Amino acid sequence: MKKTVALVVIVFAGIAGPVLIFQSCKNKNTEKLQSTEFIFKEKLSEYGFFKEPLNKLIPTTRLLNYELVTPLFTDYAIKDRFIVLPAGQSIQFKPQAVFDFPDSTIIIKNFAYRNAANEKIMIETRLLVKDPFDKKWKVMNYLWNKEQTDATRHITGAKVPVTLLDDNNSKISTVYQVPNTNDCKRCHINKDVLTPIGPKARNLNFTRANQTTNQLMLWAAQGKLSGLPSINQVPQLPDWKDATHFTTGQRARAYLDVNCAHCHTPGGDAYNTGLFLEYEQTDPQKLGLMKAPVSAGGGAGGLDYDIVPGDAAHSVLAYRMNSAAPGTAMPELARSVIHKEAVQLITAWINQMPKSKN
Amino acid sequence: MISLLRNSVPAFLFIIGLNACNDKVAVVNNDGYKQSLTFSPGDESKIVEALLSLKDSSSVELKQGTYHFDNLSLAQLKHILLKGEGHDKTILDFSAQTQGGEGIRVTDVKGFTIKDLQLQNSKGDLIKINKCEDVVISGLHAVWQKVADSANGGYAIYPVLCKNVLVENSYAEGASDAGIYIGQSTGAVVKGCRAYRNVAGCEIENTSNAEVYDNEFYGNTAGFLVFDLPGLSQRGGHVKAYNNYLHDNNEKNFAKAGSFGTSSGVGNAAPGNGIIVLAASNIEIYNNRIINNNSCAIAIASGLATDDKALEKINDAYFPFPKNVRIHDNIMQMADSFPAATYAHHIGKLLVGIEQKLNAQDASRKNKRIPFILYDGISTNIITKGTQSNPDSICITQPGDNIFVNGDMLNIADQRKWKPNTVITPFECR
Repeated sequence: MKKTVALVVIVFAGIAGPVLIFQSCKNKNTEKLQSTEFIFKEKLSEYGFFKEPLNKLIPTTRLLNYELVTPLFTDYAIKDRFIVLPAGQSIQFKPQAVFDFPDSTIIIKNFAYRNAANEKIMIETRLLVKDPFDKKWKVMNYLWNKEQTDATRHITGAKVPVTLLDDNNSKISTVYQVPNTNDCKRCHINKDVLTPIGPKARNLNFTRANQTTNQLMLWAAQGKLSGLPSINQVPQLPDWKDATHFTTGQRARAYLDVNCAHCHTPGGDAYNTGLFLEYEQTDPQKLGLMKAPVSAGGGAGGLDYDIVPGDAAHSVLAYRMNSAAPGTAMPELARSVIHKEAVQLITAWINQMPKSKN
Repeated sequence: MISLLRNSVPAFLFIIGLNACNDKVAVVNNDGYKQSLTFSPGDESKIVEALLSLKDSSSVELKQGTYHFDNLSLAQLKHILLKGEGHDKTILDFSAQTQGGEGIRVTDVKGFTIKDLQLQNSKGDLIKINKCEDVVISGLHAVWQKVADSANGGYAIYPVLCKNVLVENSYAEGASDAGIYIGQSTGAVVKGCRAYRNVAGCEIENTSNAEVYDNEFYGNTAGFLVFDLPGLSQRGGHVKAYNNYLHDNNEKNFAKAGSFGTSSGVGNAAPGNGIIVLAASNIEIYNNRIINNNSCAIAIASGLATDDKALEKINDAYFPFPKNVRIHDNIMQMADSFPAATYAHHIGKLLVGIEQKLNAQDASRKNKRIPFILYDGISTNIITKGTQSNPDSICITQPGDNIFVNGDMLNIADQRKWKPNTVITPFECR
């Protein structure tokens, strides 16, 4: 009986095998004819995103310039953000997650600093491309030349000594860390998939400083965004600097969401820590309240808990934000100076939490 | 027979399919990788660039000599080999690290092998392997040359959130947390390794289905730990440790984090511990030589021993009471006194206190040492309101004298109620 079954299986395999092979080869060949993998250009200028001189970042018409209500901190860098959509296509609205972008979308983020003479000096330009070949997002970095005329494809990261002005116009000398392409991936990968981080509804849902219309409504009116519901149904992230309209807690949570939660989330690069800092997180343990660090080692500075309510001085979270030393500093990447204003905010937030009973 | 055939048929088709569709026959080198790259000292910037542009199925060989890096990384790849010419010949030094958490970071690689080289002196961990599958670490030495310094990085060899990890014939020294640390992984083998002068020689944490054998862990604060911590991605357990040689683990605890009494973590390891099982279940410890770890040969503790909030943290991924712990056929010896560092450590002081209390309670002990095996005695009776003497199936087969103490740790704060006792009968395997 057993032998009969085995024989049938083998015969079936003999017939089905070649058929399957034929089909898979055919599919592979047609795919090859349709497209090839996206190849990043050598120079930023080759894309034609900006008019000359390139370092003024004056966009050609197809670029959509945008801002985030609460941005990621990168050494007090000035960031310019643009989206390039394929002609006639639009972004699909999503209420919580990152928007759904059409194939061939390019997201551009330019990093500059203010030098001691208060001039805007370009450092790097990061690109995220949604490759139509395999529907996957790809990353590339461009490093600006000293002459500030163009930026060149650069995968290995760089250390750029700079003297910059912070938000109070105080001079800071540091070595700016341009990430390498794997650094980019670390923050942008969640559950094995590389995705954009910033362009979520809640972080785009505001009216920019010199404008009168909500950014998302503007996009919808221009036909760049489809599926936008009534704006009062769209979630909104607090502006971390706006103490008039938002509480310290709201601002702190918004800051942590944008600066930490791309890694500190299940499936993110810091999944192993069990510390999850998304804006929507409500579990006190996951948020770090009286939670012991798991694998921080000496990075925890000898402190016992991520957050001790009412006691920022004994909270690992504040300690690591207030450091620029490798192995201690958080975030681990793309920050070489301490974000003083954020340390103040997080410190205030922790200190105003009611102390736990014991 | 039938099930065997069912499994093998798809694999059979797959092999034919691959052969038929490859238009070019891939050149496969001796190691089975499609591309081979070879570098020498002085090529550091080329190596950094090569690792960033690596293709699937690549081997990278680093010829003999010392290399200096800030940090290195591999991400989103399949089938990668990084190898040197021997741990005493190919040295990767990370003293110059200025950013990031580790010397080498490997993320999302399926099929990663690193072998035959030495990593040294990073600011953070030496090598962190995050979210990878089929990891082989072989003949790797990972060391900090500064002795017992809390400024050393936390982990020397650190796979975390991985599936199927093998660490073999490797060596870790100087880690301010654990030398070989496998965290939140499924399927792990540590064999033929040595770990010296780390806080923990080797630690298996929230990792299931692990076997640790033929290793030598010595000169650490504690030799070998099996820990489950709350609030993490998965529960550990199903760990076997056998044929290991754990000796002279009496170093001071130089962990920075936790040295002030954190609720969990390696700061709790008292100097002089051979093996500690904390909140992990389904553990078997046998045929080990556990010699001259002078505070405690084997400790079994619940999460409540170090964290009074442990009960609130029970969920699918955490259960604070160790269950089904089997200990048998180990050779255990201990010297005449605690190591000096034990008296200065918060848990160490408790161990000293247990020894003193036992001898004060029973003059016939004639001032013997603390017994080899310490159980904290904090059992599921707390949640079931039960009264069984061994509800969690702790089972010990270790003939001889002065083998076991139930530390009655729940009552240790109240000298009148506190009664550590050495009655082993309820805990003997049946």
